[in-house]
Amino acid sequence: MNDRNRHSDRNRPRQGGPGPEGFSDGRLVEVHSHIARDKQEPAQGFSMTPIFVVFLFCAFGFWAGLYLTRNSRGFSASAFDLDAPVASASVGPAVFEPDAAKGEKLYLANCAACHQPTGMGLPGAFPPLANSPWVAGDEKRIIKIILVGMAGEVEIAGAKYNGNMPNVGAALKDAQIAHIATYVRSAWGNAAEPVMDVSVAEVRKALGSRGQYSPKEILEAHPLGK
Amino acid sequence: MKNFRYLVLGALVATALPFTGLVVGSQAQLGSLGRAPAEEGGPLMPPLEPGQAVQGREVYLSLGCVSCHTQQVRPAGQGRDIAAGLGGRPSVARDYVLQPVVLLGDRRIGPDLANYGSRAKSESDVLAALRKPVHAPGLRFDADGKPDARVTALAAYLRSLRQDYSSPEAPLK
Amino acid sequence: MSRIDAPLRVPFTLLFGSAALWLTLASVFSLLAKVQLLPSGLGACEWFAHGRLEAAARNAFVYGWAGNALFALNLWLLSQLGRFEIRNGWMAAIGGLFWNLALTWCTVSVIVHGPGAYALLDFPAGAGPVLAVSFALAGLWPVVAYAKRPTGHNFAAQWFVVGASVAFLLAFVLAQVTVVWAPASGVVQAVAHSWYVRSVELLWLGGSALGFGYYFVSKVLARPLHAYYLASVAFWTYFLFAGWTAPAALIGSPVPLWVQSAGVVGCVMMLVPVLLIGLNLLGALSKEGGWSRAWNSTSLRFISLGLTSILASIVLAAWSSDRAVNAALRFTSFSEGQGVLLLYAGVTMCVFGASYAALPRVSGGRWPSAAAIHTHFWASLLGAVGTVVSAFAQVGGRSPDWAFVAAGSSALLLLGHLAFASNAFATLIGGGESPQSHPAHD
Repeated sequence: MNDRNRHSDRNRPRQGGPGPEGFSDGRLVEVHSHIARDKQEPAQGFSMTPIFVVFLFCAFGFWAGLYLTRNSRGFSASAFDLDAPVASASVGPAVFEPDAAKGEKLYLANCAACHQPTGMGLPGAFPPLANSPWVAGDEKRIIKIILVGMAGEVEIAGAKYNGNMPNVGAALKDAQIAHIATYVRSAWGNAAEPVMDVSVAEVRKALGSRGQYSPKEILEAHPLGK
Repeated sequence: MKNFRYLVLGALVATALPFTGLVVGSQAQLGSLGRAPAEEGGPLMPPLEPGQAVQGREVYLSLGCVSCHTQQVRPAGQGRDIAAGLGGRPSVARDYVLQPVVLLGDRRIGPDLANYGSRAKSESDVLAALRKPVHAPGLRFDADGKPDARVTALAAYLRSLRQDYSSPEAPLK
Repeated sequence: MSRIDAPLRVPFTLLFGSAALWLTLASVFSLLAKVQLLPSGLGACEWFAHGRLEAAARNAFVYGWAGNALFALNLWLLSQLGRFEIRNGWMAAIGGLFWNLALTWCTVSVIVHGPGAYALLDFPAGAGPVLAVSFALAGLWPVVAYAKRPTGHNFAAQWFVVGASVAFLLAFVLAQVTVVWAPASGVVQAVAHSWYVRSVELLWLGGSALGFGYYFVSKVLARPLHAYYLASVAFWTYFLFAGWTAPAALIGSPVPLWVQSAGVVGCVMMLVPVLLIGLNLLGALSKEGGWSRAWNSTSLRFISLGLTSILASIVLAAWSSDRAVNAALRFTSFSEGQGVLLLYAGVTMCVFGASYAALPRVSGGRWPSAAAIHTHFWASLLGAVGTVVSAFAQVGGRSPDWAFVAAGSSALLLLGHLAFASNAFATLIGGGESPQSHPAHD
């Protein structure tokens, strides 16, 4: 090395071994292997450091878990903004989006047996939903019929039906009913507004434990449009 | 640590763990992401790119524009991007599904370009910006100021950059 | 020259010689890129587009300079520590040759055809496999030296260097696959890229530099490291956490929140190894006038500076991963300053320090010019400080005045590197003529 280094080397303590660069490689490894072997009893006596390191580790690990759970929105693939309203999957005020695709699945499972997957019903037995003023207009009408059912004679598109619809909706959640209503109101030539779960909840609360509607009753409360 | 195998294996595992967690994990979540309408029956977004924009991206890449321009808008709580008018909503992963390479960038010597297409009113606006002296290297205009084919393609690409539609993950307010 | 050093000579000279050339080339590109940002610019030639110059400078610096230098120095260090005598050293030389040929191709391609989208992966797709195979030939020697060491010696420096070498190859191959050959979907590419960059910076470059730190601090000071029994914890926590810091570079980006948060957690967790490594190395330096003795040893002067910068840059990364801080600093010149602090003031300073000790040993000569050493030290120190300060000063907004400071600092760095490269060539080539001048010891 340069002159300055060699000068200072002369003043250097030599406890480590020979050579102008301090430790020889053999000595260096030997000294450290010794320390690593005897780590339980450091030469200077009892040391707080290992205990401190363990505590430090625990503290960092605890913080990491806390931070991740609080700032990851349940590891959702569609959460990009920490300040955005929490999506419906997680806790807190849920944001409901009426989804006709979900509604279709629910309709097929719960309603299609009578009203048919085409929404055409069965002539003389079950009234059609396609192009029907009954499902359009005031959303409360369709919600009420789904929730508690309807029994009695109705005339739809010139055909008479003497139906007896049970309270299909009693076993379904508000959101599910909202999806179904949204689907029915948007399929087969119907074009009415989607239905929110809160509207279903309101109606359900107002109805309490009442039984089936008669067609006359419900048309008085919610007359058909157009 | 005496054992050579533990050291090499351990180092390899330590290197691969974050890859598995971060890259494989997010690919599993986002790998099948495609275009989607913001609301029932709406058009699929992001829109398909015009052919000239695809060529223009090659020009953008080859001139290293990404070293000075980003293409991402951060959420309102994370920086002033939206307040500064760089976009109406934060960028989300779906905005980039059609791009063969994602030019997010990490430095803004020039402005962010994620919504440049909706800011620039006309093609002449874009060409005027490209004529600035800072953009001189690599962009050719002939004597009466007409751009050559590469500049035209680049301008078409820049005009195609827009995130001004609603996305299911980030509705436009 | 010792039994161990002699067979190293040919591959070492080839690798380190190319490293010095790449360093000079990288400094030229970097200076041109800085000048291009001045108000006067550099002219309208496409080859001088800032993005191209900067990509060329980055590749030349990381793969050309640091890559070649680490091939040479890591091999040398582990041969020393394990008393390993290299056989088939020609394989390292061939690997180095192809590495450099592929890099030359990359550099020409970046300047003439332009870079790609992703820093450090922005070269022609065909170059990737060549680089990977050449790395396997030239860069995995530390692993061989460790596996075949006749002494069974075991020391922290070996772990860091072996870990760094295998980590790079794995990271490079995985990144090539997920970003270049079979690109992941959309923004996942950006996640993969950030992981690759952090693995290169912290594991390969940082890990090797820390290995030099463990070796030289103890060796030059001739004292055991402080609390050495913690070194294995330091090593494993460093390697376990380093890759997780990557997505902190994507806070606010369109990647899922959990990915961003994992990055924040990674950055903060890195404080654990930083604390332990600091305890080991800076602890040993702080005892009994260690710093002043470090100042008087050419090697340790560079290395202690480098170690401090690496640790400082990791602490800074943890601080800037805080979401509120990050909101203000993201996309500004802060990350430039951060990068220079880690890769130049940190890693490169450690590499300089190690080469001041290794070159005379391998070539059997001595550094011919003390003046060149001084020029190199002061020019690179001031250049690094100037670059970092000008980058941090422009966080609030870019200004032409600071751009001048940055360009001036780049010129200073080029000067220092010219002094270093010429001095290194003289040592490597002229060394054999005066083998008696540097006594072998150990």
